[in-house]
Amino acid sequence: MAPFSGRSDRRTGPALASYRFSWRVFDVLEALAAQWPARAMGLVKWFLLLPALLIVGLLIFGLVVMADASFRVMDFRTYQLSEHYSTANYVRLWGWGAFWATLWRSLGAALLVTLICLVLAFPYAWALTRTPNRRLRRVLLVGLFLPFFVGQVVRAYGWLVILGYEGIVNKALAVFGLGPYRLLFSYPAVLFGLVQYMLPFAVLMLMPALAAIPEEIERAAASCGASPLRAVLRVILPMARPGLIAAALVVATLTLTDFAMPAILGGGTNDFLANLVHDQFFRTSNAGLGSAIALVLTFLGTTIAGLLLTRAGTQAFGLRGTS
Amino acid sequence: MNEMRHHTSRRKLLGTGAALAAGVAMPAVLRAQEPPKPAELIVRAWGGVWVESLKKGVSDPFTAKTGIRIRHDLTEDNEIKPRIWAAVAQGRTPPIHVNWDTTANATSSALRGVCEDLSDLPNLAKVMPLAKPIGFTGVPIVNLYSYVYVLAYRPEAFPGGAPDSWMVLLEPRFKGRIALYNDGIGFHPVAQVLGGGKISDIPHNMEPCWAFIRKLKEQKPLLGEDPDFTNWFQKGEIDVACTISSNAREAKLKGVNVAWTVPKEGAKVDTDGMWIPKGLPANELYWAKRYIDFALSTEAQQVWLDGLGLPGVAPGLKPPADLVGDPSYPMSEKDFERLILIPPRIQAEHTPEWFARFKEIMQS
Repeated sequence: MAPFSGRSDRRTGPALASYRFSWRVFDVLEALAAQWPARAMGLVKWFLLLPALLIVGLLIFGLVVMADASFRVMDFRTYQLSEHYSTANYVRLWGWGAFWATLWRSLGAALLVTLICLVLAFPYAWALTRTPNRRLRRVLLVGLFLPFFVGQVVRAYGWLVILGYEGIVNKALAVFGLGPYRLLFSYPAVLFGLVQYMLPFAVLMLMPALAAIPEEIERAAASCGASPLRAVLRVILPMARPGLIAAALVVATLTLTDFAMPAILGGGTNDFLANLVHDQFFRTSNAGLGSAIALVLTFLGTTIAGLLLTRAGTQAFGLRGTS
Repeated sequence: MNEMRHHTSRRKLLGTGAALAAGVAMPAVLRAQEPPKPAELIVRAWGGVWVESLKKGVSDPFTAKTGIRIRHDLTEDNEIKPRIWAAVAQGRTPPIHVNWDTTANATSSALRGVCEDLSDLPNLAKVMPLAKPIGFTGVPIVNLYSYVYVLAYRPEAFPGGAPDSWMVLLEPRFKGRIALYNDGIGFHPVAQVLGGGKISDIPHNMEPCWAFIRKLKEQKPLLGEDPDFTNWFQKGEIDVACTISSNAREAKLKGVNVAWTVPKEGAKVDTDGMWIPKGLPANELYWAKRYIDFALSTEAQQVWLDGLGLPGVAPGLKPPADLVGDPSYPMSEKDFERLILIPPRIQAEHTPEWFARFKEIMQS
């Protein structure tokens, strides 16, 4: 594993000057690697996985801490969690109407926003990957990436300006003698904001899948007599399944755990589970109940992801092996 | 009207505790032994007019007197709390020196035992007894001023004059045009009265309160926090709200046509205070105490609280010209008779339960 045969060459003359710093770094790394015992080569893959394992490990550690807290009850005379374990927080959740209302609202939003985003994202991603017009592609790309430069909270506040009682839309309607209407602070307003926020994610996840489908396939379908609609429904959509599953996975889980849109566009009466978690931790300082809700939320998100992956199989993402 | 009102009697508020006056002036010898000054103190504050007023009335003059720079941390009071609790539990230096907090929220920290004792502040003996929280050994929190949850309204919606009852919230014309705090804070005692209950039944029987809030739910209220109220009045989203007078006044000073009143059923009065988390180095603790002591002085409160339009605990304060005679700036015994104070300790111990009931009604 001699990294470089001419060590002395590097110290003299033009060879030294031309020898790049990055090469030197790699020389050192290779020299270090050469010291690695051959018998321990099997450990290399674990070392490479170490950063990811650390991150996942921290996540699991956090979940364990939260699981521990979720089985302890807050004593509001001392604001300390109980020493003993109990299922009281989960029992309380079971009988708490606000919890069920926010749970169904969150799940409903995850489903609706995902469906709407997939329907809207597909033609956008299709146009982006198929258009021969370079200018149109550029416009579509700008339209796709621009929202990522504007944070979710800023976008939500933008909707307040546009859809507010004295906002742009109501002012435009007033020209025709209509309104003003209350367009904000409702469940549809939250869904609207979420769709607008999630759509770029869906397009981004769909694009590679659609780009991977050869255009010849479409021509073949057409030559076999399939109408464009039939070709999309029977050929393209099934082939785009990895992208659709990936987009659904991202949009559904992000929507399920969203905090800002319900907080800003919901008017305080359309909270999601994440808002309820925040309230328990920061408003009532009830870390026990907050942890219990957070774990339920994590369980729901994981279940949705698991169901999608089970349904589609990991090979849907182009991974080897079976699910 | 209610049995808890005695907590807010003018006599008590104005009783300056002359018996405590002895020995309050800081001896010159102690000044000579002042510990080293930190480069800065971090004071948590609310944004907008709140921090601007604090800066003008307390922080800047304190810096001028001591040379210690004041940095304002605008983390929400509810969000800084768990960070402080974690720091104290882990024996770390807390993230701030002084927490400007609602008394109810601060009381939860005091109950947890993370507050330094402030009973040695010299100015404490010169101010109203309201400055010291009831039911604690020592002084974990110093209350600095009181504020009232008023009925704020848009005058165009009331051409016949100010509404005299909170029952206007149930008028069909205001459906979707009313606002409350998103945890119901400030409204529970009033709802208890409007629902036909007694204040003395709080916290044991609040069914009348919940019954009224269920009725109010049908009015589709907006639920928000302090900045939302000003924003909603500005943007024409609401006509009536239960909010603290400072928000209504801020909106008015920004040119929004908003007025406020204390209806015949009364209005909740509360206090805000400052406290110091445990775990600070001794010299920083000393100077943090000096900061709070200065915030108790008439000199600081006159400027600071003029900006907020709130009555302070220091003696001899003059109300801002626009608030003379205003029911949200109580000055006389009669003014306080219309206000309802729920002891902070009861609030701290029962707020989670009230919050859960309020959420259950509003989210279902």
